[in-house]
Amino acid sequence: MNFAFNEEQKSLGETVDRLLEDHAALRAPDLSAEANGPAWDALAELGLFAMMVPEDQGGAGLTAVDLALSVEAMGSALGPIAALDALAVTDLLVRHGTPAQQADLLPRIATGELRVAVAVTEQGCDEAPEGVGTTVTGNRLSGTKVLVREAAAAHLFAVVAQSGTGAAIYLVPADAAGVTVRAHEDIDPTCALGEVTFDNVELGAEALVGAANPARAVTRLFDGGAALSACLQVGIAARMLATAVEYARTRVQFGQAIGAFQAIKHRCADMAVAVEAARSATYYGVWAFAEDAPDRARAVSMAKAYAGEVAKHVCNETIQVHGGMGFTWELGLHRYLRRAKVIEHAFGSTLWHNERIVVETLRMDEACSGDKLAAA
Amino acid sequence: MDFNYSPSENEFRMELRNWLAGALPQGWGETVFEPEDEHERAMFRLDWERKLYAGGWSGINWPKEYGGRGATLIERGIFAEEMARTQAPEGINIIGHNLAGTTILACGTEAQKKRFLPPIISSDEVWCQGFSEPNAGSDLASVRTRAELVGDKFIVNGQKIWTSYAQYAQWCFALVRTDPDVPKHKGLSFLLIDMSSPGITIRPLRQISGESEFNETFFDNVEVPAENIVGGINEGWKIAMTTLAYERGPEDALGRQVRFKQELDKLVTTLCQTMQGSRAAIDNPAIRQRLARAITEIEIVRLNALRSFSVYLDGGDRGADASMTKLYWSHVAQNMYELAMDALGPVAPLSGNDPSARAMGRFQLSWLQSKAFTIYSGSSEIQRNITGERVLGLPR
Repeated sequence: MNFAFNEEQKSLGETVDRLLEDHAALRAPDLSAEANGPAWDALAELGLFAMMVPEDQGGAGLTAVDLALSVEAMGSALGPIAALDALAVTDLLVRHGTPAQQADLLPRIATGELRVAVAVTEQGCDEAPEGVGTTVTGNRLSGTKVLVREAAAAHLFAVVAQSGTGAAIYLVPADAAGVTVRAHEDIDPTCALGEVTFDNVELGAEALVGAANPARAVTRLFDGGAALSACLQVGIAARMLATAVEYARTRVQFGQAIGAFQAIKHRCADMAVAVEAARSATYYGVWAFAEDAPDRARAVSMAKAYAGEVAKHVCNETIQVHGGMGFTWELGLHRYLRRAKVIEHAFGSTLWHNERIVVETLRMDEACSGDKLAAA
Repeated sequence: MDFNYSPSENEFRMELRNWLAGALPQGWGETVFEPEDEHERAMFRLDWERKLYAGGWSGINWPKEYGGRGATLIERGIFAEEMARTQAPEGINIIGHNLAGTTILACGTEAQKKRFLPPIISSDEVWCQGFSEPNAGSDLASVRTRAELVGDKFIVNGQKIWTSYAQYAQWCFALVRTDPDVPKHKGLSFLLIDMSSPGITIRPLRQISGESEFNETFFDNVEVPAENIVGGINEGWKIAMTTLAYERGPEDALGRQVRFKQELDKLVTTLCQTMQGSRAAIDNPAIRQRLARAITEIEIVRLNALRSFSVYLDGGDRGADASMTKLYWSHVAQNMYELAMDALGPVAPLSGNDPSARAMGRFQLSWLQSKAFTIYSGSSEIQRNITGERVLGLPR
């Protein structure tokens, strides 16, 4: 039992943090996606996308726990959001991919040259990935996905669709006949969100991921996206807290730094407590995900829901602490507010994860009382 | 980071689990509960603590030479999980274990350790805390209770307030003024006072829950041997800060989490069994949203404590982080009890023995008791000042 990151994990997180700190354009007030490309290339050069790829496929064989602080740094820096899709799909392929899928895709994902995007959300559907309307009939996939991150830049989509026996994941190349991408108009254009339509797209022989248990592959991908999203949310919250505290230390009104006033000081203290709580939930959720622990679903949902609420709260409070400046376009706090909103609604919203926490708690209680009966 | 347990940690857990199975009364938590009467309940809890001691499960992480088990912080975490799992009773000598004992262990002389620690572990001596006074609450350093050194004794005069368990305590540790002519933090000393000394009067105070756990304690020319000082004369503030770091720290939070987790489990069961119209309360989506949040927050109290343990095990210092620990558990526990009262629906105002009361009114009592959480051990306002100034570096 140990709840601390080791030196390698911390060092990797610091490296990613420093690297993205140099890409200041990522955090510029104007909503341009142009900074994503250079940042992506720098992350690829660092080898970030190879970290979770097994060693025999040219990677470092690390787990989500090893990358938690790095993903937190990506959240804090407003790094390219598609990096999360790449990491979640890497984990999926490592766990559930066929040898052919792994050999073909992982080395190219590792170098950053193959861009993958998760296509799960649909209009008019429940957030549960099992409830999607996109369907595979015969060998053809049809449906429309929304809120696909950096959709236009993707080479390959990991599409959740109904197979006839339940939801499953299919890999569809972006250049397949019948695939079209439309850019969304949305709150955070730096995520380059897009709608992707699959019109009777013919699936390749190696399209299905996790044939042995397609449903498990779906929840694995969804939980991976949710757990890593929680890290991004913690990164945003921690950065906003630091920004608020720095402003409270230096901004003078009534002849003193405003941080001396309890109205401000106490807000900052509450934010600090919230950020640490979100870290506890998130790090545990990422561990439960990486280990595939028996309480994985609940732990991941706790992480995503809680870190989402904290990120939202801290963004709001930080704007308030900055007064009128906080509401200006040029200060750029709106960038974090916008990004947090996109992440909040990806891989299950707070409301959805809260419901899953209750369902899982009742399920685990039943298991627990069954356990007691067996012991008696 | 690894939440898996080692073979020896698993062995520790099984040993404890087996012991608990034999030690708890038959039907515990199902047909057998704690006595309702406050005094009987206190005696029941004292008996339970002595039972823990007899089984070797008291003060487990203290050094073996003072009667402890030398358990690791991780084992302490396991201990808390198992106590929650079996709905084990609380103890009464919490102040002895968590505050007096830890402070003496950290700052006491060898003679004090040998004298005071073993009877704390065995619960032969229960402790109370003499910090707050009517005019020294949040501003603790302004305490006025005087202690004058006359020969080889301190003569103590003054009044303490909110002294929980004073009526059961054999000993009290107190923050007293030994020099009124220096700045307030610099004239304080930390004394260990025998509660059977002539000149001590206790007057119970009734709390909003109707209980009288805490008291006013009066000192009228009470003699305290000079060797019963912890630290040097006028060094009491530093010692008191050590006490507060433990009072607000992760071990304390983890112990409390056990109770919150027990009550949360009970709440879930109660909501499953409480019909509201055509559905059980547990099926109300509005309740489910808040319940999810409470489940998450109570789990985070545990995770926060484990994270702090890992920091300490890596050589990190105890410090102002204790204020954040206390802020967190106190507010989320209050929220949980608010949820309990809201979710019970129209019967929420019914108490204890009313046949229509849910879960024998326990949530109502806990809800009333929870109002103290954000006040004692330093109010939330004080914890936020400490967090803002010492953790975040904001100006005073």
